[in-house]
Amino acid sequence: MCNLPVRVVCRANAEYMSPSGKVPFIHVGNQVVSELGPIVQFVKAKGHSLSDGLDEVQKAEMKAYMELVNNMLLTAELYLQWCDDVTVEEITHPRYGSPYPWPLNRILAYQKQWEIRRKMKAIGWAGKSLEQVLEDVDQCCQALSQRLGTQPYFFNKQPTELDALVFGHLFTILTTQLTTDELSEKVKNYGNLTAFCRRIEQQYFEGHDKDNSGTAAARSAKRSLLR
Amino acid sequence: MAAPMELFCWAGGWGLPSVDPDCLAVLTYARFTGAPLKVHRVSSPWRSPSGRLPALKTRDEGTISKTQQIITHLRKQKYNADYDLSATQGADTLAFVSLLEEKLLPVLIHTFWVDAKNYVEHTRKWYAETIPFPLNFFLPNCMHKQHVERLQLMWGDGYMEDEEKLEKELYRDARECLTLLSQRLGSQKFFFGDSPASLDAFVFSRLAPLLKAKLPNGKLQQHLKSLQNLCNYCTSILSLYFPWDGGDPPTSAPRVGGAEGGDAEEDPHKRRNQLLSVLVGLAAMLGYAFLSGIVSIQRGAVGPAGRQPIALEEEEEEEEE
Repeated sequence: MCNLPVRVVCRANAEYMSPSGKVPFIHVGNQVVSELGPIVQFVKAKGHSLSDGLDEVQKAEMKAYMELVNNMLLTAELYLQWCDDVTVEEITHPRYGSPYPWPLNRILAYQKQWEIRRKMKAIGWAGKSLEQVLEDVDQCCQALSQRLGTQPYFFNKQPTELDALVFGHLFTILTTQLTTDELSEKVKNYGNLTAFCRRIEQQYFEGHDKDNSGTAAARSAKRSLLR
Repeated sequence: MAAPMELFCWAGGWGLPSVDPDCLAVLTYARFTGAPLKVHRVSSPWRSPSGRLPALKTRDEGTISKTQQIITHLRKQKYNADYDLSATQGADTLAFVSLLEEKLLPVLIHTFWVDAKNYVEHTRKWYAETIPFPLNFFLPNCMHKQHVERLQLMWGDGYMEDEEKLEKELYRDARECLTLLSQRLGSQKFFFGDSPASLDAFVFSRLAPLLKAKLPNGKLQQHLKSLQNLCNYCTSILSLYFPWDGGDPPTSAPRVGGAEGGDAEEDPHKRRNQLLSVLVGLAAMLGYAFLSGIVSIQRGAVGPAGRQPIALEEEEEEEEE
């Protein structure tokens, strides 16, 4: 969205390379910055920003909605991946452990699972059932849908960080194959959100795919909403 | 509702009806909607039916302990402060509550419970004075450990160890959150116009302790005090909805040693505790007396008068053996 040249590299040990332990992170010159918030700040310091045109109240709302996505969608995704036994067994463990040989794949997967479960317990999500989590996702999507309305982006004509964040999460939810389709169904209920995702995909990813010199793995991993 | 619901929450202090942000949120929401609640201000979680505070005891659904669930329950009982909000405002509520929970509440917990100076001189002192004996020796520490662990899991170990990084980034985010709230509130009376909604309850409950407590290390507090509209907002809610709870009797009671007790709930338990300890003492003494043979019950002769016969009997037994 900022038109910055970027090369996407997929590595199995990305989490360990990152300074804060979380992905994604960018490596620019001799600086390494991780997580969306600091990356946005870093890019802003270099003179590129998507939210300059917003007034104070809008900036407050944008930050609030970004936190909503982080608080609800991200946590729901983590819950589904790591606390729902069926999904864990069939999808998450194989996927997480795939770069490593046995027994390392099992050990690392269990370690990560234990860590995520502890975190869930700390924020009070461990006691939630799958239905409650899906209900929360639904509420969150409803709020986002309300806010988006019929506009092309959340703050009318120009995309902002919020659009990028929402797209990231919704696209992943819509295109990742899980054992059940309940999560993606929740999002599909809101037509304007799916149209939003499609629009951003067409505008920012279809054209760039051709010039992108990403690895073959990255290209094959990309799935299109249009399929 | 035929019988009023009962709410158990932490006692008041520092000029507030309750010191805990979650309890305060529920109380404020109930006041906003006029829900008929019987409020029990207790000074330890053991008094609550579920062992945690806040707790709402309802007739049909048992005891509910999570703040969000309590508010949902009140809504179901038709005490809904968000009734007049439009769908967009409802969406905004969700978003701002998330902002508060992610950015402000953890830093608030850190300020009160983890920051060494604040914890030792202010928070622990208040809790130790309020919680009855013998819980006051270990409960504050227990709560402290729980909060530290929670923050560690949320923020990662790196933050907890590096004070400077913590101060710089997380407190900066919290200050930004306060500024954003101030900008969103503007000069309005409440966040969505003239009548209060659930967002107001949440914002008030997070800001009021920060505003009112006398913290020795109060950088975040100073920032809040510099945002005049938020301070006025808090004081106006306090004076409108909690006029008589403002300058609390319960704060002076614990220091008196809790003997008289500002809370009617305290008295029966205090008496009961005293009675129990006297009974236990008596039972111990009597038990010892019986076992060592000083006192025995014989048909017709009771008490110390039985001393002679026992002594004689023992001597006889010894002689026989």
